Amino acid sequence: MNTSGGEITVHDKHVDYSGAKMGMWLFLFTELIFFGGMFLLYAVYRSSFPEEFYSTSAELHRTIGAVNTVVLITSSLTMACSITAVKKGDTRLSALFQLLTILFALTFLVVKYFEWEAKIGHGIYPGSEALTAQGQGKIIFYSLYFVMTGIHGVHVLAGIAVISVTMAMTLKNRINKGDYIRLENTGLYWHFVDIIWVYLFPLLYLIG
Amino acid sequence: MNSGQPAEAPQSFYYNTGKYRGVLSWVLSTDHKRIGILYLLSVGAFFLTGVTLGLLMRLELIAPGKTVVNASTYDSLFTLHGIIMIFFFIIPGIPASLGNFFLPLMIGARDVAFPRLNLLSWWFYIVAGFLALATVVMPGGPPDVGWTFYPPYSIRTTTSVSLAAFAAFVVGFSSILTGLNFITTIHRLRAPGMGWLRMPLFPWALYATSWVQVLATPVLAITVLLLILERSFGVGFFDPVKGGDPLMFQHLFWIYSHPAVYIMILPAMGIISEVIPVFSRKAVFGYKAIVISTMAIGVVGYLVWGHHMFTTGMSEEAQLVFSLITFIVAVPSGIKVFNWVSTMYRGSIVMAPPMLFSLAFIFLFSIGGLTGLVNASVAANVHIHDTYFIVAHFHYVMFGGTGFAFFAGLHYWFPKMFGRIYNVRAALIACVVMFIGFNLLYFPLFILGWNGMPRRYYDYLPLYQPLNVLSTIGSWVLAAGILVVVINLVRGAFRGDPAGSNPWDGTTLEWQVPTPPPAENFDVIPEITHGPYHREGKAQ
Amino acid sequence: MGLSLIHKLTDGHSRGLLPRAHLDDKGSYSAVKNLPELVNDAFSLVIVISLVLLVLVTFFTVFFAVKYRRKKNPVPHEVKEPLILEITWTVIPTILVLIMFWAGWVNFVPLRRIPENAMPVKVNARMWSWQFEYENGRTSPTLNVPLGRPVKLLLHSSDVIHSFYIPEFRIKEDVVPGMENFLWINADREGEFDIFCAEYCGRGHSGMISKVVVMSSGAFHEWYEKKEEKHAAAGELSGPALMEKHGCLDCHSIDGSALVGPTFKGLFGRSQIVVTGGREMSMIADEAYIRKSILHPSDEVVKGYPDIMPSFEEDMNEEEISAVIGYLKGLK
Ligand code: HEA
Ligand code: HEA
Ligand code: HEC
Ligand code: CUA
Ligand SMILES: [Cu+2]
Repeated sequence: MNTSGGEITVHDKHVDYSGAKMGMWLFLFTELIFFGGMFLLYAVYRSSFPEEFYSTSAELHRTIGAVNTVVLITSSLTMACSITAVKKGDTRLSALFQLLTILFALTFLVVKYFEWEAKIGHGIYPGSEALTAQGQGKIIFYSLYFVMTGIHGVHVLAGIAVISVTMAMTLKNRINKGDYIRLENTGLYWHFVDIIWVYLFPLLYLIG
Repeated sequence: MNSGQPAEAPQSFYYNTGKYRGVLSWVLSTDHKRIGILYLLSVGAFFLTGVTLGLLMRLELIAPGKTVVNASTYDSLFTLHGIIMIFFFIIPGIPASLGNFFLPLMIGARDVAFPRLNLLSWWFYIVAGFLALATVVMPGGPPDVGWTFYPPYSIRTTTSVSLAAFAAFVVGFSSILTGLNFITTIHRLRAPGMGWLRMPLFPWALYATSWVQVLATPVLAITVLLLILERSFGVGFFDPVKGGDPLMFQHLFWIYSHPAVYIMILPAMGIISEVIPVFSRKAVFGYKAIVISTMAIGVVGYLVWGHHMFTTGMSEEAQLVFSLITFIVAVPSGIKVFNWVSTMYRGSIVMAPPMLFSLAFIFLFSIGGLTGLVNASVAANVHIHDTYFIVAHFHYVMFGGTGFAFFAGLHYWFPKMFGRIYNVRAALIACVVMFIGFNLLYFPLFILGWNGMPRRYYDYLPLYQPLNVLSTIGSWVLAAGILVVVINLVRGAFRGDPAGSNPWDGTTLEWQVPTPPPAENFDVIPEITHGPYHREGKAQ
Repeated sequence: MGLSLIHKLTDGHSRGLLPRAHLDDKGSYSAVKNLPELVNDAFSLVIVISLVLLVLVTFFTVFFAVKYRRKKNPVPHEVKEPLILEITWTVIPTILVLIMFWAGWVNFVPLRRIPENAMPVKVNARMWSWQFEYENGRTSPTLNVPLGRPVKLLLHSSDVIHSFYIPEFRIKEDVVPGMENFLWINADREGEFDIFCAEYCGRGHSGMISKVVVMSSGAFHEWYEKKEEKHAAAGELSGPALMEKHGCLDCHSIDGSALVGPTFKGLFGRSQIVVTGGREMSMIADEAYIRKSILHPSDEVVKGYPDIMPSFEEDMNEEEISAVIGYLKGLK
């Protein structure tokens, strides 16, 4: 195979905003279906173990859950502000809002960590002897709790990573008034992560 | 691969290496054509690996009891064979290789919408492929669960099921990214004037396929992820001991895997819809009918997954509904078959290799599809479920259908991809040999299945031996045919005669650019003024 | 809702749409002797329709390919696309599939309606053997049934999913742990027919076979009343025979080769690494250890092996266990 020489001649390379947006929406679709699989399991098992679900849900710490909900919703707000800021051309303010978003996200994770820690400290985690001894409905509820909040947590983590990148880009002015599609897409993703939590919270904490 | 090009033609993409040199100019290229070739080579490698495993299985099954491998090895053989064929050959096969190469060309675009994502998806594919193959050397040995991963067995066995499941997870990402990319490409990058109904049928097929990929694959992702969590942490969702329901796994699995069979067949149908008009020198018959049935298959195909579970003890209502919808979804496939055959009516037909493969496709796919109707009939399903009847059904649709269409597409577009042409006589002979070998290999399996031989059987009762021997002999004939194809194509790519830019007299856009196409496909994006199969002086 | 309506229409008790022929005077299905015929009929119908379509499609393909080959027909003719054609080949196949669907469904329903007078038999599946348990407590490794009497099979699995399949009778149903699935059969001729496991269940899947033995009513009753050899011969069964009976040798060898479980050769007195509650520890295989392995295999799992051995707490009595242990001691 001969691979010598030559250069790509770039023809009117343009950034296709609608295309990029569309790609992001499609991606969020797949995420929704991904979580949909877990919600489906939740629905099925809740209908086979209704009582156990109610009683076990009451064992979760509602106040902590509520605080975390507020934290995450606030972070969605700051994310939206950062986009408004960049639209107005104030990249420094935008970066600041992104930093706030990251801090809220971290708060959320830290709170989550302590919640998990407490449960695990009591010997309650998937596969543990204490949990296995406690009957099927409970096992399934706690498994759903750990798996759903865990996978959601991973998404929060991913969000933090992505927002860190956009923040750096904003500071370097590579995201600016004229080109902020990356930030907008990141915002979409972040709202999605937020919305998932808004469903998880009542389903796991408030049914009891 | 050197192209026999006049000097003044724009430089072919083989010469235009972009930022990198040597191998890097391939594995880091964002040119959809290079990525298409990368996929073609990797998919081809997995195909050859998969068929070799199939060949080994047939060898084992030539006689009851142990012949060449022991029971555990056999279990791993059909598992790896299934996983490789499904996840690494047939699902990415046509869209990622031929689709990547030709989609932008056929709709008049310079590349796909997200070229870097495109490269990323190839990397996901390759990494996943190595993970899947790595199971062979892992402690615990290769997985022995079948490509369907049914728990609770898959959570009890100590073989490397988690790694294999993870490979399926990663390759799922690759598939999603390809789908997402193609949808956006088709929406945003069609050449000016190319309205939806001026788009050729192969892009249409890819469009429907991509939607199925995007909407179904995440279900697979979460399913195998939960299986991994089940094995690692004992979460219990599918373990009856812990209150889980193993049938939930089957539902989730088939919610993906039934639509997946349409991921496999739709692009194949797209190829047939391109080949038959060209070699009949006519516009395709019933363009709109084909478009509508393509989309209909994509949509209705979502609602039939339960036909894999008729004997699991599901409710009668569910059995009734799943059976009914399964029957209905067969109708659009029929419409396509009828339109393809009608395209030949009063045409001027050349029996070139792509055409011969396509006609073989029609016959084999019809057998596979019609026996699908047998499976869909609940009463009949009770008897033939999980027997060799099913094995025969899906090899007819997957190999006889998608496989033969893949070969048709490869022979059709080969001159455009490589600038050279293979030996046509050898290709025709290979096709005939493959066709004979194929039927010899798989037809006896229908009878075996009806006589009650269950699938995934390492050992069988002596009464089943004669047909098994016949089938094994068929596998050698088929292997001979494939070997000729492979040699012929490889030789053709390096030493074949130069092919002109439009050797088959095709009408779609990819034939209007130089051979092989230049780096950014079109110097000037063409303006589309008529339908894709329009020929000089004729209306359409 | 729609579904429940459909259910009512097709339910055996309202039997609005079911062909009368399958019902006896009292409206029960016990008169349906020939269940396999139902499956055969549904199958043949689809095959015949399919063959006709296949022949048509193939005929036209070949005919056009020959008639309009370029040598003879160098100039193609564009043809009209009459809409009526598209409609025809949409509507006719739709009607055909609806017919095939309906035939499949009505022929299926009787397979799921157990006559009231059916004799219940519990089917216990486990890796990799079948056991049949009768109402009077009698158990048997083969399914013995009387001629001409409906038999209801209640399917139970103690480990993974299996599938109970009798090709000759055209029936199959998965045996799912945690669920009780059912089947019914009504044998119409004497003889022995194969039982297969049709759902992949591990290494011994293809060996998980047994037989249905259809006997005359008299012969069956004699067999049924004989109770179990168990009582008569309990203490007398030797080690190897017991191992055979309980299927130990499906998973364990006595010649030193590792199958699914560790070999019995040289087991007694061997030092063994086992996993209990997530921790590894070393144990000597003494009498107590072996007893525990048989009764509660999941408590101590030999390292490197899957936790799939079934508990024999309910299947083996004290004498049998002692006999097995005695036999294992001698396997050097
Ligand atoms: C390329 C892949 C592919 C395709 C396209 C299909 C197409 C179809 N399949 Fe198949 N199928 C598989 C791959 C595929 N299948 C696989 C892999 C399995 C097994 C999985 C496993 O367990 O491992 C399987 C299993 C499977 C089952 C489950 C069997 C069981 O386990 O018990 C069923 C049941 O209904 C079924 C039905 C059908 C039907 C009705 C179609 C239809 O879409 C077919 C439509 C086509 C035609 C009908 C032919 C053309 C039409 C005409 C020539 C004329 C028109 C005629 C009329 C409409 C009357 N398939
Ligand atoms: C596209 C999909 C595809 C394809 C093409 C094939 C191809 C083949 N398969 Fe397939 N098969 C599946 C998908 C496929 N299979 C799936 C999904 C299953 C279910 C798995 C499960 O149960 O979980 C299955 C199961 C399956 C079984 C059932 C196993 C069982 O239930 O016990 C059998 C048995 O005969 C079989 C045989 C074959 C054979 C002989 C081929 C032949 O095509 C092979 C013919 C051989 C050749 C063509 C060899 C060619 C070799 C060369 C040319 C040399 C190459 C040289 C190099 C190494 C570089 N397959
Ligand atoms: C389905 C397969 C299966 C069957 C049937 C089975 N076993 Fe096992 N057995 C295993 C496996 C797997 C292990 C190793 C894991 C464990 O300890 O649970 C094992 C372990 C053992 C051990 C401990 C061996 C050691 O090396 O420490 C003994 C003793 C034993 N089995 C006895 C029996 C007897 C007696 C029977 C029949 C009555 C029997 N098994 C039937 C699968 C089986
Ligand atoms: Cu039991 Cu297969
Ligand atoms: Cu299907």
